[in-house]
Amino acid sequence: MDLLLSAASASFTPVTVAAILLGSIFGVIFGSIPGLTFTVAMALAVPLTFSLDQGAAIGLMLGTYIGGMTGGSVSSILLGVPGTPSAAATVLDGYPLAKKGQASLALGMAVAASAFGGIISLIVMVVSVDLVASLAMNFGPAETFALLIFGLSTICGLSEGSLVRGFIAGILGLMVMTVGVDAMDGVRRMTFGTVTLQQGINLLVAMLALFAVPHIIDAFVRHFQEERTTKQVKAVGVELPRLRDLGRNFWLMVRCSLMGTGIGAIPGTGGPVAAFLAYAHARKTSKNPQEFGKGSVEGVVAPESANNAVTGGAMIPLLSLGIPGDPGTALLLSALLIHGLVPGPMLFIESPDAIYGIYIAIILAYLFVFAFQVAGIRFFVQLLKVPPHVLAVAIVIMCGFGAYSVRNSVFDIYTVAILGAGAYGLMRVRIPLTPIILGVVLGPAIERDFRTAMILSDGDLSVFFSSAPAILFMGLTILIVGTQVGRSLISSFSPKTPGIGRNAPVSSEK
Amino acid sequence: MSERTPYQAEQRRDLVVGLVLLVLGIVWTGIVLATIPPGNYGIGPRAFPLWLGVGLVALSAILAGGAWLRRNGDGEDPGDSGLAGMGWPVFRMVVLVCLILAAYGFLMQRAGFLLATALTVAFSLWVVLGERRPFLVAGMAIGMSVGVWLVFGQLLGAYLPRGTWLPF
Repeated sequence: MDLLLSAASASFTPVTVAAILLGSIFGVIFGSIPGLTFTVAMALAVPLTFSLDQGAAIGLMLGTYIGGMTGGSVSSILLGVPGTPSAAATVLDGYPLAKKGQASLALGMAVAASAFGGIISLIVMVVSVDLVASLAMNFGPAETFALLIFGLSTICGLSEGSLVRGFIAGILGLMVMTVGVDAMDGVRRMTFGTVTLQQGINLLVAMLALFAVPHIIDAFVRHFQEERTTKQVKAVGVELPRLRDLGRNFWLMVRCSLMGTGIGAIPGTGGPVAAFLAYAHARKTSKNPQEFGKGSVEGVVAPESANNAVTGGAMIPLLSLGIPGDPGTALLLSALLIHGLVPGPMLFIESPDAIYGIYIAIILAYLFVFAFQVAGIRFFVQLLKVPPHVLAVAIVIMCGFGAYSVRNSVFDIYTVAILGAGAYGLMRVRIPLTPIILGVVLGPAIERDFRTAMILSDGDLSVFFSSAPAILFMGLTILIVGTQVGRSLISSFSPKTPGIGRNAPVSSEK
Repeated sequence: MSERTPYQAEQRRDLVVGLVLLVLGIVWTGIVLATIPPGNYGIGPRAFPLWLGVGLVALSAILAGGAWLRRNGDGEDPGDSGLAGMGWPVFRMVVLVCLILAAYGFLMQRAGFLLATALTVAFSLWVVLGERRPFLVAGMAIGMSVGVWLVFGQLLGAYLPRGTWLPF
């Protein structure tokens, strides 16, 4: 109780509350503009946190994360274009509702379902995160290495169709983080005799390069190659659903929220999977399945409660084990590390007040996002009219200054430019970027724990199979990777591979 | 000679990508062996970069090899990458964005944050993107400079470079 009070007193300072509010607004705006995903918002928000204290900094990042996950529904409903991949399923019924003149109702249901899903997932998170962390409390370097390797195995789920490309991406991410002075022996690695490379590639610099620069390049290219049209957005408000409407969808929201939380807790899955599964579940269990795709309220409620519940679910492995399951939590992890918080079981011993602070920040973020969407939607939908190339130029500045502010070094801006161009090139040849992020984030810890475990065991590799947690995580890793490799081999050797095109248009059948 | 299907074009591209990454992996491994000492005790500083280099070589060989075997095969259209455009205009834009960022960094040290930001925004909009609405360009240039200066410099107390070209 003392810890909760202490966390509350730290969280309710004007600066922290303002930071959460700012992050929530920033996230909703970025989430609602198609193409500007919340991951770009989070990458750009990290430099803003440098001058803030720990609580305000984490609050800003959490607000951005939650706001971004929620904001995607706005353009899904009003424009028929998902603001974030997680909101793709909302298009299926949200946009038809808007075309029927019920945009306000659709937005209201989406806002209510999002807040509901978020709060349910928060409750599940609070209950389970402590339990998982207490189980992981006695982990040594071998167990931690096994756990991190298990986290890295989520690359299989993030490979976007090709396992080999996913593994290549993961290795490239790990390679980037070996540049600089080795933390254990003080040896210079891949520095080519330069002083600037000795400091290594900063995590945030890598994040900006991977998330923001490809977006800038793509927006610039589209400016010249696509028909320029001004998006037509009518004046719209949020019509909060009546209690009767909420009551009618209550159990659907509960089921979809729990589904979203569960899916979010599995690293490598994320919001889009949860939203489409929830949508399919809602249609299957609905009394009026024929209404789906034509403007069903259930078709908005289900994906919105599920994709927001993913946030709480994804926080479980992040906080308790230090494993980020998606790009959003990877960015959150990097921000936590920058501010001296190392997620994992030890965080619950070393900084329990920070954990409570995170819970409070999440609750406040949901309240702010809800209030902002209800009260401010008339104003912020106007931002959907801002031309993408103008926003892209603004991101150039945020990106350049953000990189500079990490270490007050122009070298970091040059690094962002070079790595960003490389990231764009990799995207063009279908090398997925998310596994690179995982490699970048988990790489240093994987190497450190592996080497420490090997030193402690005098080079005996069996140390990674000498305790129940290590065996469990190594076994799970082998199982996941083995299954995926096997599946990939089978599909490679089958004469003709039927399947879903990776960029097939979203339809209710998917 | 018949035209390549999208599937075959994808295999050709994978072959090129695999070969480029293979060369990168070999060069990386060579540099690791030549410049990083193996260490005196246990797993040293060389091990990880070396394994990563070898891993990249192996995986890129698999990518290139698979693409070579399937180069004349038949399969599903992989669809586009989700990114706009192809060819020279895209390459030009990649180079331009890199140059804009690099020039922004260079200018920030010389001309100071405010001037560098205004110049970068104006150049990007007017010259690179062909935006011809003077109020929009001027508004963005001044708005971004002053906005970031206010938020980062004044509100958050971040260090903003003053530059060496101007005496104030």
